[in-house]
Amino acid sequence: MIHLKNLDKQYKNGDQTLHVLNDIHLKIEENEFVAIMGPSGSGKSTLMNMIGCLDQPTSGEYLLHGTDVASQPEKELAKVRNAQIGFVFQQFHLLPKLSAMMNVELPLIYGGIKKKERKERARLALEKVGLEDRVNHLPNQLSGGQKQRVAIARALINEPSLILADEPTGALDSKSGTQIMELFTQLHHEGATLIMVTHEQEVADYARRIVTVRDGEIIKDRGHENVVPR
Amino acid sequence: MSFLDSVKMALRSLWSHRLRSMLTMLGIIIGVGSVITVVAIGKGGEAVLTSQFAGGGNNTFEVYYMPPDEELMDYDAYDDVAYTTEDLRAIQEMPSVNQVIAYAYNSTNVVYHQEAAGAQILAINENYYDLNEFTASSGRLLDNRDVDNGRRVVTLSTGVVEELFAANDEAVGQIVNIEGVPFEVIGVHERENQSFFAFQVDEVLLPQSSWPMLYGTDNMDMLNVQANSADDIEIASHAVTNYLNDQSTLSGEYQVLNMEEIEQGISQVTNVTTMIIGGVAGISLLVGGIGVMNIMLVSVTERTREIGLRKSLGATRGNILLQFLIESVTLTTIGGLIGIMLGAGVANTVSLIAGWPFLVSIPVVLLGVGFSMFVGIVFGLLPANKAAKLDPIEALRHE
Repeated sequence: MIHLKNLDKQYKNGDQTLHVLNDIHLKIEENEFVAIMGPSGSGKSTLMNMIGCLDQPTSGEYLLHGTDVASQPEKELAKVRNAQIGFVFQQFHLLPKLSAMMNVELPLIYGGIKKKERKERARLALEKVGLEDRVNHLPNQLSGGQKQRVAIARALINEPSLILADEPTGALDSKSGTQIMELFTQLHHEGATLIMVTHEQEVADYARRIVTVRDGEIIKDRGHENVVPR
Repeated sequence: MSFLDSVKMALRSLWSHRLRSMLTMLGIIIGVGSVITVVAIGKGGEAVLTSQFAGGGNNTFEVYYMPPDEELMDYDAYDDVAYTTEDLRAIQEMPSVNQVIAYAYNSTNVVYHQEAAGAQILAINENYYDLNEFTASSGRLLDNRDVDNGRRVVTLSTGVVEELFAANDEAVGQIVNIEGVPFEVIGVHERENQSFFAFQVDEVLLPQSSWPMLYGTDNMDMLNVQANSADDIEIASHAVTNYLNDQSTLSGEYQVLNMEEIEQGISQVTNVTTMIIGGVAGISLLVGGIGVMNIMLVSVTERTREIGLRKSLGATRGNILLQFLIESVTLTTIGGLIGIMLGAGVANTVSLIAGWPFLVSIPVVLLGVGFSMFVGIVFGLLPANKAAKLDPIEALRHE
């Protein structure tokens, strides 16, 4: 499903060139649960942004469902993000003035879905993450774990082919963190493809495959051989 | 994403910062409000001026004699201007003419016993009342029988009465002497609807038929002509001036005061004044617009993470641009609408106090709304473009 070939990413800082990603090769199949690990500054976040179509490589190819998205214009990338990718962030990134329901609806608004259908689907998504009784709450009326579940509902709402989570438990206490990881595991069992950036081994262990990045290169890919490509 | 959803989103976001939105609108409210007020007051003033100069438009025009340029300052040049009875009859018979209103005048003394008062003596017939409405504050006005029978009767204006008599009601029935001829005072008259600019003249009205007794001629000095209809004014004025110029032996020319030209002149003056004051008011609209831009820029910075998030959820640059543009346009449009209501209110109050017509025209209102929307677009573009161009990764990391 995801195929990165010879992916390079450089940042120019004055006359210094920063090599953030160096010749990355990575293949991720449908229904995989992958953790990307590495120390800070290793390039794992950049890799994640690249997969999430938020950033574009300096060179190399990124095939998503067989189409090269690396060379697409901004407008197409926005469409891909909207339809194919669900983001979950460490800081949740819920809009503070909108209710849980309206936060979850947002991707559908950009997807051009009619109001009635939006409400229905948002309600279902919130139900799925166990927040059917928090539909009209504002983010500041929710606990950290609940906020993250709203964010997951928002990531699920467009039925994306890929869920990208950036340190999803980083801002949570261990109990809420466990609940979130159990939710991810459940989604994985239901057929979702999950990629998660983390630096906690404990969290990474929920994943079936762990990719370790250091200095812009993949140095370890544990569990890769376990996966049978469909 | 539908346009309606964008509008709703913008309204929600403005509503969540109510105080700030209100303060931002204030500049636009004051700007639009003052433009509407100034234009309305200008139009009201124009209407008043026009009606005062043009005399309500009962299809009457005044004929006057214009000497050649070199004699313009020479008072004697006007002395030979006279409309004979034949002239007046010929003009009266013109098909486009409804009636002729001619009168003679002279300045002389009115004497009562030992008292004398200088006054303007007007020899009129009953048609004269069509030029200006009169009322009698005591006694009665001259009527057609006084004229037809050549009665030696007069009415005096209040000013003359005050000089000659101890009290208003003492005048009626007394005999006054004008150029040595005795006249009976039958009433005290007052001009109605005195225009704003006219000053009270001491005057005496007497029947045209008694004019020859005083000055030995029945020629009239002033000529007004009432046309059959507004459309006939043009035809009648040409016919009258052509006739008079053909008959005339004078070096000058008879002309007609063109009311249309005067009205245009007044319009021009008030339009220029309105434009100047409106321009100054427009500057406050400009300042209001800059205020909107300023607040929108602050808002973009504040909401950097929101923009990053929206982009990661699939918002295109266009979506973000539209969102912020709609916010600024909504701000200025609502401000504009409030400004129009405020301006109309002020204009209404002013017109009530000044007794002018209330003239807030639909085009001005539409222009006000349109212009405030335009201001929203112009001053919203820079912040909206800044928002649209944000890099989602940077934006999400923004603290």
